[in-house]
Amino acid sequence: MVTHATAREDHPAVQKAPFRARLSRIDVKASPYLYISPFFIVFAVIGLFPIIYTAYISTRKWNSIAGDLGVAAAYGQSGETSWYGNFAWVLANHDFRDALFNTFSIFILSSVPQIIAAIVLASILSANLRARTFWRMGVLLPYVIAPMAAGIIFRQMFADETGVVNIVLQQIGISPISWHGNTLASHIAIACIINFRWTGYNTLVLLAAMQAIPNEVIEAAVVDGAGRARQLLSVVLPMIRPTLMFVIITSTIAGLQVFDEPQLFSISQSFGGSDNQFLTVTQFLWKTGFTSTSDSNMSRAAAVAWILFIIVVVFAILSYVLTSRIASTGGPDKPKRGRKGASR
Amino acid sequence: MNRRTPRRAACLGAAIFSFSLALTGCGTSNDGAGDTSTSPDGEEQIVLTVGTFNNFGYDTTTATMQGADLYNKYMDEHPGIKIEATVAATSDEARSAFNTALGAGSGAYDIQAVDVDWMPDMIKNADKLTDLSDVIPAGRFLDWKTAQATTADGKLIGAGTDIGPEGICYRADLFEAAGLPSDRAEVATLLGGKDATWDKYFEVGAQFVASSNGVAWFDSAAATFQGMINQVEASYVDPDSGDVIASDNAEVKALYDQLLEASASQSASLKQWSDDWSAGFKSDKFATMLCPAWIINNIKNSAGADFVGWDIADVFPGGGGNWGGSFLVIPAQSEHPAEAKALVEWLTAPEQQALVFTAASNFPSAVQAEADPAVTSKTDSFLNNAPVGEIFADRAAAVTVVPYKGSSYFDIQAKMVDAINRVDVDKVMDAAASYTQWLDDVKALA
Repeated sequence: MVTHATAREDHPAVQKAPFRARLSRIDVKASPYLYISPFFIVFAVIGLFPIIYTAYISTRKWNSIAGDLGVAAAYGQSGETSWYGNFAWVLANHDFRDALFNTFSIFILSSVPQIIAAIVLASILSANLRARTFWRMGVLLPYVIAPMAAGIIFRQMFADETGVVNIVLQQIGISPISWHGNTLASHIAIACIINFRWTGYNTLVLLAAMQAIPNEVIEAAVVDGAGRARQLLSVVLPMIRPTLMFVIITSTIAGLQVFDEPQLFSISQSFGGSDNQFLTVTQFLWKTGFTSTSDSNMSRAAAVAWILFIIVVVFAILSYVLTSRIASTGGPDKPKRGRKGASR
Repeated sequence: MNRRTPRRAACLGAAIFSFSLALTGCGTSNDGAGDTSTSPDGEEQIVLTVGTFNNFGYDTTTATMQGADLYNKYMDEHPGIKIEATVAATSDEARSAFNTALGAGSGAYDIQAVDVDWMPDMIKNADKLTDLSDVIPAGRFLDWKTAQATTADGKLIGAGTDIGPEGICYRADLFEAAGLPSDRAEVATLLGGKDATWDKYFEVGAQFVASSNGVAWFDSAAATFQGMINQVEASYVDPDSGDVIASDNAEVKALYDQLLEASASQSASLKQWSDDWSAGFKSDKFATMLCPAWIINNIKNSAGADFVGWDIADVFPGGGGNWGGSFLVIPAQSEHPAEAKALVEWLTAPEQQALVFTAASNFPSAVQAEADPAVTSKTDSFLNNAPVGEIFADRAAAVTVVPYKGSSYFDIQAKMVDAINRVDVDKVMDAAASYTQWLDDVKALA
C-alpha cells in the first residue's frame, strides 16, 4: 500500500495509464480463476471441509451431545489414549465385520442383476416399439416413488407372517421364508427393493446412450447377418462403454452406501436384524453415531465414515479399471480412438 | 435424433418433477426457525415449537390418535402464542434428532419430549437444558418421577408427563375358548392376585397353550423382558459406582433363562412394533401382553376401535412395574425460555394431565391428577368397559422398585433385545449361545 501511494505522488502525470494497465492485467490473469471459483468454493465448503473435519473428529473422543472430550481412547487399554483408537475399535467390532459382509452381498445381489436387466430392457425399448413413450415412462415409474414409500410397501410385503409374499408362497405349497431371520433371504428381499427403484433409471440412461449410436452401424451389422443378441454384444455394448461405466460406477457407490432400504426393512427395534442379518455399513455408522449413548459415539461413527470412504474409492477405481478393460478388449477400435483423441 | 419436441420434453420433465415432489412429501418443511409470526388479527405472535413422539395426547383427536386438544386450548387462552407441534414416528428418531440438535447448539424444538430411558443422558448434559424448578411446584409429580429428572446439584431438567404403570391385557374370548376364567377379577386371581409372580404367569401360560389350539400366551419375549428388567433396581449398571455390571449380574441371567424357557412354547414370536406384531392384535395370535397405560393407544389403533375381546386385569407379575413414561424438557438454546416454561408448566399441570388421560390413555404422573375423579372414574369401552382409572391407580401404587439406569443402560438393553429376538423371533440361535454373544456385545460397547 505504501509503495503504491509514493509511486502515485512521484509520477502524477502517468498515474492513470499504468493503473488501467494493471487492472486489465489483473483482469486477464485473475478473472478466469474468479469464474471457476464458485465450483471450488462450493466444493471446499460442502465437500472438502466435512471430509477433513470428519477425519479430525475420528481421532477424538466426541459425543453427539457433549462434543469434544479429548483425544480418542485407546482400544482395549483403559485410561490410555491414541489417535487411532476409534479406528481400532471399529475394525475389531464384529458388528462392523457383519455389516461389511452384508453390504457387499447386497451390493452384488442388487447391482449385477440390475445392470443386466437394464441393458436388456434398454435394448428392447430402443427398438421400434408401438407406444414407445408409454413403455419408456413406465420403466421409469418406480424411480419416481419416494424411497421411503417403496421401503415401507416392501417391508409390509415381506413381513414374515402377514406379508403378501409369504402368503402367496404358502398358497402354492412352498413353506414361508423367514425374510428377516435368514441372512440370504433378507439380502434378496432388500436387493428387490433396490432393483425395483433403480433398474428403470439405469435403463433410461443406457437407452439414451443407445439412441446415440448411428443407425448405419446397426444396419451394417444386420447386413452382415448379426442377430439381436449379436448386435447387442458386439456393436451396442462396446459403443456405449462410457455410459456403461457411468452406470456401473454410480451403482457401485450407491450399492456400498445402501441405507434407506435396510433401515426401512425392519422397524423400531433391532435395526439391521437381531443377528445383524441385514445390517449395512451405513446403518452401522448411524447406529454407532446416533443411537449409541457411548462417550465416543460421534468419533466412532466418523471413523466408520472414513473407512467406508476409502472402501468406496478403492471400489470405484477397481470397477473403472475392470469396465474399461472388459469393454476395450471385445469392442471395435473406433470409439476407443475417438475417446483418446478427445482427451488430448 | 431428436424425436421428441423440446416442449413436450419440458412438460414431461416438469410433470415428473412436481409428481416426485408430491410423492416425497417435500412440501413446506417446519424447521422451527421462525421466531414470530402474525396472527390473523394482525398481532405479533411468539412461535413455540414442540417435538413429541408416538402419542402424547396433546393434539386434536384424529382417526389414529386420541388427544385432548390442549394446544388449541392454550392458544385460545394465550393469543400471543402460536404452537407448532411435530410428532416423530418413533422415539428413536426423536432421540437422535434431539441429541444432534443439542450437540450442534441449534435446531432443537423449544420443548422436547424425552423418554425416561434417555434421561441419564440428559442428566449428564444438564448444562444444555433449562432448569424448571422455578416454575414447577414442588411435589407436583410422584417422588420417583421427580428424582428421575433431578440432577445431583438439584436442577429439575424435565417436567413429568405420563408414567407407565403396567397391568395385564388379555383376550377374554380366547381365555374362554381355552377354558380359563375370563372375568377380569377372576383373571387377576388366576395370575396370583397381589402375590403374582413370573413363575405363576408362565405356569398359567403353559396351562393356556395346552388347550388353546395354537394361540400363544404372550406377544413377544423381548416385550415381556421389558416388564421383568424394569423391576430390577440394579440391572446393567451399578447405581453407586456407575460401573457396568450387566455381564456378572446373576439376576439378569436368571430372568433371561426363565423367560426364554417359557417363550419356546408360549411366545407368539412377534417382534415388537413390527407389522406382524401390529397385525397380531386383531388376529388370534396371542392372549395376553404386558400393558403399560400408554400402550392401550397402540392396541386400539392396531386392532381397530370397534374390535371386541381385549380386557385388562388389575394384576402384574413380580410386584408392580413401570414401563416408560416421559418428560418435557426445554433446551438452553430455546429463544423463548420464559414462554416455553409457562407452556410446560401448563401442559404438565394436574388438570391437563387428567384431560390427557381421559382422552388418550397416558396415565398422569402428577399426584393430584391421579386423585382427580375424572381420572379415577374413567372406563374404557374398548377394554370391555374396564375401570382403567381405578386399575392403573392401583398399578401405580404397586410400583415399589425404581430401576437405576445409567447412561450405558440404553445400549446394553438394545443388545439384550437383539439377543432375545435372535432366540424368540428369528430362531437363529439357542438361548445359551445368544447370551454368550450378548456378553461379547456388552464387552465391545466399552
